[in-house]
Amino acid sequence: MFVVNYQAVAIVIATAFFSTPLSATPFAYITNQLDDTVSIIDTEQGKVVDTISVSGKPAGVAVAPAGDKVYVSTPEAHGFAVIDVKKREVIAKVVVSDGALGIAVAADGKRIYVADWYNNSVDVIDADSFNIIKNIPVGDSPSGLVVSPDNRWLYVANRLSNSVSKIDLNNLTISKTTAVGTHPFGLTIDARGERIYVANVKSDDVTVLETRRMLAIATIKVNMLPYAAALALNDSRLFVTNQDDGSVSVIDTETLKEIGLIEVGDKPEGINTHPDDRHVYVANWFDSTVSVIDAQTLKIVNTIKTGEGSRAFGQFFGK
Amino acid sequence: MKKFTLITSVALFLFTAIANAHGPVRQKAEEQITINAPAEKVWALIKDFGDMSWSPSIAGTKAEGGNTKGATRVLTLKEGGTIKEELKKYDETKMSYAYKITEMSTAKTITHAGAEENVPVLPVDNYSASIDIEAKGDTSVVSWTAGYYRAYTNNNPPAEMNETTANEAVTAILKEGLANLKALAEK
Repeated sequence: MFVVNYQAVAIVIATAFFSTPLSATPFAYITNQLDDTVSIIDTEQGKVVDTISVSGKPAGVAVAPAGDKVYVSTPEAHGFAVIDVKKREVIAKVVVSDGALGIAVAADGKRIYVADWYNNSVDVIDADSFNIIKNIPVGDSPSGLVVSPDNRWLYVANRLSNSVSKIDLNNLTISKTTAVGTHPFGLTIDARGERIYVANVKSDDVTVLETRRMLAIATIKVNMLPYAAALALNDSRLFVTNQDDGSVSVIDTETLKEIGLIEVGDKPEGINTHPDDRHVYVANWFDSTVSVIDAQTLKIVNTIKTGEGSRAFGQFFGK
Repeated sequence: MKKFTLITSVALFLFTAIANAHGPVRQKAEEQITINAPAEKVWALIKDFGDMSWSPSIAGTKAEGGNTKGATRVLTLKEGGTIKEELKKYDETKMSYAYKITEMSTAKTITHAGAEENVPVLPVDNYSASIDIEAKGDTSVVSWTAGYYRAYTNNNPPAEMNETTANEAVTAILKEGLANLKALAEK
């Protein structure tokens, strides 16, 4: 029940430290919650090249920094699945807790963080042994997680407490909690780790948090039911999915003003920027597609068919 | 720590086996119907957000705000109970609109996991839907879709408030509504 499959893990870990990028092509890993699958998009071909079966209603996603593994949260299996990207199969299933949804991986790949929205806590898991190192109580219904680029802090959106907590990764305790908008969900951090953009589902806005002091410096109105956001073009533009509007709001991060609204598919949710820093991928939950936005022209350049209920909450591109 | 988790998992597992625990997963219902009538004729029947008499499950509608975003309507169900909805999007040229349920009356109160739970008349939570008409020559295709969660938002739902119940209730409304719309438009 705890860790189903050890055998493949040891081999993968042995090679992880020496792994070069597996291919010149970045892949996107899209969780399809209603299908119990993960679609692998080859971004050069602009289509799904493989579909992996993952039971437990996969929702959250985090790609290991080395690009060799993908961690997918499975709320109905109370934990997460580990996908080996070379084999393109699940090599381990880890039971963590009841309502595992938000998932993130450490910048050095050594730990996995899982937010549990029933138990109001974040579990810290060793990426080698899958042992739980610590269970950190946070606010109510924790959802989005993001790790600072320097691997020093973990931020968590406490959806029902309307706050974001900053966790010190040296001692695994909360260093500060700050009030944001209503029902914060997805978190996005800039490349320097200085700012966090919080998508507030219920107040239809984005809170801009200055991380050092954990200070809300701005609130930007977007459209209906924002879910998550992604930065592109050297962090100059922020793209926010508006679930109930079938659109993506574009925000200039210097002026903190909305500069565009792009129509995507129905019920857009997970959103990430391709490693080229120019193309933004949006998972449309209702349409079971992924829209690809050119961040420069603000035009849709491709729409890719995925599986039922594409959610892709988290980091679905390897960096 | 691992030991602790293992124990928790086992305990959970036993509990799960009994209660069939699930984390809320957003559900989807999609229904489509081809109507042998021009799109304009079908649109005329449904285009007023404040008039849902085309749906057989609705006894009456009380509305405010016309067809502009933010308009509201209170539907009285034939089987009793009310549903309040808000218009979120309206597009005359595309012949489509989208709306959300903002309030519902209680169908019944049950006791579950030691607490009293109000089962809403439509056993769902966070429900949004859209309806649109596509012209296909002299005929039209009407799509009615909805996204929602089960009514019970905590862990281990009662049967009256689980995903299956939510899906059956929503699908029935969509199917009956579209079948009746077809009958009305083809008269």
